[in-house]
Amino acid sequence: MRRRGRWLFPVVRHALLLAWTAVTLFPIYWMLMTSFKHAGEWVTWPPRWFPHEPTLVNYVKVLTPGTSTFELGRQTLKILKPIGDSLIVSGVGALLAVVLGSALAYSWARFGTGGRSYPYNILSIRMVPPIVIAVPFVVYFVTLRLLDTYTGLILVYVATCLPYVIWMMLAFVEEVPVELERAARLMGASRFRVLRSVVLPLTASGLVVTFLFVFILNWSELLLAMTLTNTEVSTIPIQLNKFQSANEGRDYGPQAAIGTIATLPVIVLGFVIQKHLLRGFSFGLLRK
Amino acid sequence: MAGIQLERLTKVFGATRAVDGIDLTIPDGEFVVLVGPSGCGKTTTLNMIAGLEAPTAGDIWIGEARVTDWEPGERSLGMVFQSLALFPHMTVFENIAFPLRIKRVAAEEIARRVRTVSDTVHVGHLLGKRPATLSGGEAQRVALARTLVVQPTVFLMDEPLSSLDAKLRVEMRTELKRLHAALRSTFVYVTHDQAEAMTMADRIVVMHQGRIQQVGRPLEIYGDPANRFVAGFFGVPAMNFVEGELRPETNGARFVAQALGATLPGHSIVAGPASLGIRPEHVRLADGRESWPATVSLIEPLGDETLVFLDYGGPASLVAKVDAEEKLAVGDRRSFTLRLDRVLLFDGTTGGRIMG
Repeated sequence: MRRRGRWLFPVVRHALLLAWTAVTLFPIYWMLMTSFKHAGEWVTWPPRWFPHEPTLVNYVKVLTPGTSTFELGRQTLKILKPIGDSLIVSGVGALLAVVLGSALAYSWARFGTGGRSYPYNILSIRMVPPIVIAVPFVVYFVTLRLLDTYTGLILVYVATCLPYVIWMMLAFVEEVPVELERAARLMGASRFRVLRSVVLPLTASGLVVTFLFVFILNWSELLLAMTLTNTEVSTIPIQLNKFQSANEGRDYGPQAAIGTIATLPVIVLGFVIQKHLLRGFSFGLLRK
Repeated sequence: MAGIQLERLTKVFGATRAVDGIDLTIPDGEFVVLVGPSGCGKTTTLNMIAGLEAPTAGDIWIGEARVTDWEPGERSLGMVFQSLALFPHMTVFENIAFPLRIKRVAAEEIARRVRTVSDTVHVGHLLGKRPATLSGGEAQRVALARTLVVQPTVFLMDEPLSSLDAKLRVEMRTELKRLHAALRSTFVYVTHDQAEAMTMADRIVVMHQGRIQQVGRPLEIYGDPANRFVAGFFGVPAMNFVEGELRPETNGARFVAQALGATLPGHSIVAGPASLGIRPEHVRLADGRESWPATVSLIEPLGDETLVFLDYGGPASLVAKVDAEEKLAVGDRRSFTLRLDRVLLFDGTTGGRIMG
């Protein structure tokens, strides 16, 4: 009995995991396949698992420069500008959040800045559903003339990313033994020199991982972007969302192409940082 | 060259007085070991000398200067940390060169000085390696080289040998002593290991609960401890203590305890509770004018000598260190005597030494 259980359990476990993986990956698979299909294959019955004549026409359509059109019930969305906007907003937002958040994490880890519960207070920002803060932000932004601007959206992204950055960087900073800093201080290094020559090189990989993580968050953020922008700034998730507001003649191929383009960086970066993320998220467990 | 002076030095963490107003003068060129159990304040004292902790009260002088408020880097100290604190992202060369780079020494001068100092401590062949690839002993030497390269006048060491295995630790002890003899700089060395303190120190500073218990040469500390704490801290195995009472007698005093009473000639003491301390090497298996019967309950051979645990009827057994040749078996009935000239008496309540 026991002997049989030894191989049975892993088999069952793997079968279940495989089945679940298939369920979760299927939409992505379908999106990828549709993005390479001609219009005739999008909604055929029985469904086609593979495009019979793979084509890049959907990609060409959405990636050619120009403005989005909606004619004869057919909607064509262009995404070069949204890609650019997404890169600017997500990138600058993530960068500022990492700069500010890692400085905060360092000062808390080493000097207890803000008191014992400071990181937890910051974390509570994340406990508020974004929809709760979205509307007040609109009101603020109207007054501050930040609505539909890069600056506005970047500021919001910095604020929402900070808790993640602080908590992830806390874990990385605490891995740097304080004695290393003390040794450098004794040799006459200024606090700034200690940061530059000791702390920064030792947390570099953590900084990169944290940056990529919050970049992905910003890249796929829809709600705040949609509430706080209009025509000047338009990120990829907003653009994707516009398809759903078309009520006829849905262009599934280009939609799938945009979806694929939007997902690609998330998947690639996700794989790159996956190993480090485990370390970053083990905060609390590793704390001495 | 510089001596160190601590005046009423105090450090309070929250409700605990980690260092409680200590005064200490360390002459130039002395090898001083601060020793005590963990939490006794020795590392905090060292960190205050280094400038890594700010004193709550009191002053620190290095040489002629009052350095209490100086930055660590301004005190021209070299420090070796318990974890060695080698920079893992730098090669051995860069580690040793780092203090020189901070002082903006010219590149050729850096190369020359790193070369010289790494030859002194025999790490010349490791310069291209990363700290993670070094053995414990090699890392130790690199840390030493990095401290030596700036030629500090004072060396601070915070349990630098504790991460090494026993054999290497003994070797490094000798090497550090040799280094001190060659440099004639002031060394302040912190350890919880009484053997390290005994073997290396010119003078030992015994600390306990934030206070200095005794300052003295190693053999003074061992043979003439100021109180019960110091007596119990030094010596392996530890000194035997027997709790009892002192009673004055006509030409001396008498110590009385459960199943053990000893007449101590020449003592003129106030009566009261006391504990008698006797080192294991001063307990003899012999019959004498005053001897007590005991059962051998445990035997621990050390090779050159043997430890014998004697149950004499008191609350704890008495440990004797006897010659390895002695024929003994567990359960044997033997008599033992104490070398009365080496018996130490401590006040039963304060633990202070009662001098005869």
